[in-house]
Amino acid sequence: MRSLTRRLIVGVLLAELSCAAGFAVVAIVHEMHVRRRAFDIMLRGRADSLLGAVQDADDPEANVTVDRSELVLPAEDIYEVLSPTGRVLGESENGDARALRGLAASQKAGYFEIRVGRVHYRVLRTQGVRVIDRLENGGTRRPVVLIYGAPMRHLFREVVEAARFYVLTSVLLLAVTGAVLAWLLGRWLSPLRELALSASRVSVSSWEFAPTENALRTRELNPIILSMRQLLAGLREAFERQRRFTGDAAHELKTSVTLLKSSLQLLTMGRRNAEEYEAGLGDLTIDIQRMEELTERMLALARIEEEGEKPAEVVDLGMTVRSLAERLKPLAGAKQVTIGVIADGACLVSVQASDAEILSSNLLMNAVQHSPAGAEVRVSLTAQDGMAEMRVVDQGDGIPESALPHIFERFYRTDASRSRQSGGTGLGLAICKAIVERSRGTIAVESATGRGTWIIVRLPTVV
Amino acid sequence: MRVLIIEDEIRLAANIAAALRQGAGVAVDCSHNGREGLALTEAEHYDLLLLDLMLPALDGLSIVRRVRARGDRTPILVLTARDERSQVVTLLNAGADDYLTKPFDLGELIARVKALIRRGKGAADSLLTVGRLSMNAVEQTVRCGGQLIDLSPTEYRILEYLMFRPRAIVSKRELLEHLYDYTWEHHSNVIEAHVSNLRKRLRTAGEEATVETVRGRGYRLEAPEPKL
Repeated sequence: MRSLTRRLIVGVLLAELSCAAGFAVVAIVHEMHVRRRAFDIMLRGRADSLLGAVQDADDPEANVTVDRSELVLPAEDIYEVLSPTGRVLGESENGDARALRGLAASQKAGYFEIRVGRVHYRVLRTQGVRVIDRLENGGTRRPVVLIYGAPMRHLFREVVEAARFYVLTSVLLLAVTGAVLAWLLGRWLSPLRELALSASRVSVSSWEFAPTENALRTRELNPIILSMRQLLAGLREAFERQRRFTGDAAHELKTSVTLLKSSLQLLTMGRRNAEEYEAGLGDLTIDIQRMEELTERMLALARIEEEGEKPAEVVDLGMTVRSLAERLKPLAGAKQVTIGVIADGACLVSVQASDAEILSSNLLMNAVQHSPAGAEVRVSLTAQDGMAEMRVVDQGDGIPESALPHIFERFYRTDASRSRQSGGTGLGLAICKAIVERSRGTIAVESATGRGTWIIVRLPTVV
Repeated sequence: MRVLIIEDEIRLAANIAAALRQGAGVAVDCSHNGREGLALTEAEHYDLLLLDLMLPALDGLSIVRRVRARGDRTPILVLTARDERSQVVTLLNAGADDYLTKPFDLGELIARVKALIRRGKGAADSLLTVGRLSMNAVEQTVRCGGQLIDLSPTEYRILEYLMFRPRAIVSKRELLEHLYDYTWEHHSNVIEAHVSNLRKRLRTAGEEATVETVRGRGYRLEAPEPKL
């Protein structure tokens, strides 16, 4: 798994490492320069000491020589003292001094580097003046040429030492930074962990999503919290709706089962004659039919909602309504209700044929069932601006205003006892709504108590 | 005994009513609407209220609360389709005496109805005795000193009502109200005829206990102290 913390730490450490590397290079170059200057000064100092050791040779030509008895110089250094004519006045005992011979003539004054065998030397060629016999007529001035070299080993070693110090310090710094960063990130990312914890506490039995104060105050987390809240609210609503539906469905089914069971038990409670059994079985058949209808409708609703938006067929709503009204006429006639259809010509909408049938039949049956004897149910179909409008109007008692917002809810009945008497399942209008909404249409209801109810369905037409 | 059923599922209410009439020998009235049901309880004719929890107009819980608020101690049995514990607890706390979860067994319903009526009358046992007279409310039989007395359903119901309150005067009106539902056409002389028949049967069986007529006030089940 990818870890943000690890990435952040690695990123910071890499940045720090490149900084440290750059700094170390600059520091080492600078160190080298400084050390070389110090080395040069040391070289000059030692050359001056050597000049001090140039003494009167006490010979007739009043020459000078190098008196090494008082001289304290590192044994590894090499030097040569020459007269201006190039005569060697003295040289170090170090074997490498031979390499200096001949350099006096070829080299100018100043510093240079030579290599003898495997040893690098830095060499200073300088001139000095030695005054001897100062007491006699002001002394004699004896110029000499000094060539002094010291191995650069020490210089290299010091630079390496310095570089090692820089590298070690950088490594230590990196380690400390890494640790501190890990700790700090652990603390800084705590709102994220708290958010995860509060999110993990959300369940179907407890929808409470309470991010901690810490998480709420973190700007980066705000969009996450906001979208989580929205998501949870949506989920909760859907879940509650589903739960309500399941509860209602269970209630309806239980009621049906209770009825069936009691009818059966009543029938077997005592001896009955054939007519009584016949009547009882007839009632049972009706009960089972009702249960069948309920199950069918629940399945229809589940199917319509589950299928979602599907490329539908093209249906002539006008024809559907006309043929349906024709089929319903005997049933309406039994209730002394007439059905009037105002739907001329074709009205093509994009709905599944079976759904169009269910929609129109549910609306018409509802209207017929709620109509008093002698009343008329009117169905009109018009098409305008790309929308088909179907109006189903009855002359029933109407629906109380308080019930209007709920009538498309599942299992909602304006008056349970009346609906049960008429055999309603409380699902018809919910199914209608699901069908209409699936086809991107709208369904609305208007009602006037005592005068009747208008159901208005609008569906997009197919050109 | 008279029971009121408040249940919006009309066919179910009819089934229960038939079962109670046949199985428990009680008079039954039905109401299919909470508000109407509550209005019916106000007459206090009932020995038991049987209600559905989900009712139009007024739900079962509200009916229980209102009945109890009125100080009415009639036993209440609630039918519920939802066996949610909290709902049951609320119901019982509100004053319901018992509940049955749908789908229930009619036999169980009858047994519970009988038990609740009995308890409502202050009897814990299904065996009632007055003197040598003993009545088994489960079998719906009456015996005198071990010998079975054959009674018609109405005679049995009159005797049962009186046996719950031995030696107390029960008015003719009270008997009418508690033994017949609204579907009966009741005339007070119907009761008189049944009481007269009951007396005859008890006497024939050699029973010493008898239903006395207290002039202008009602009837009383009177039994001599059992001989030791």
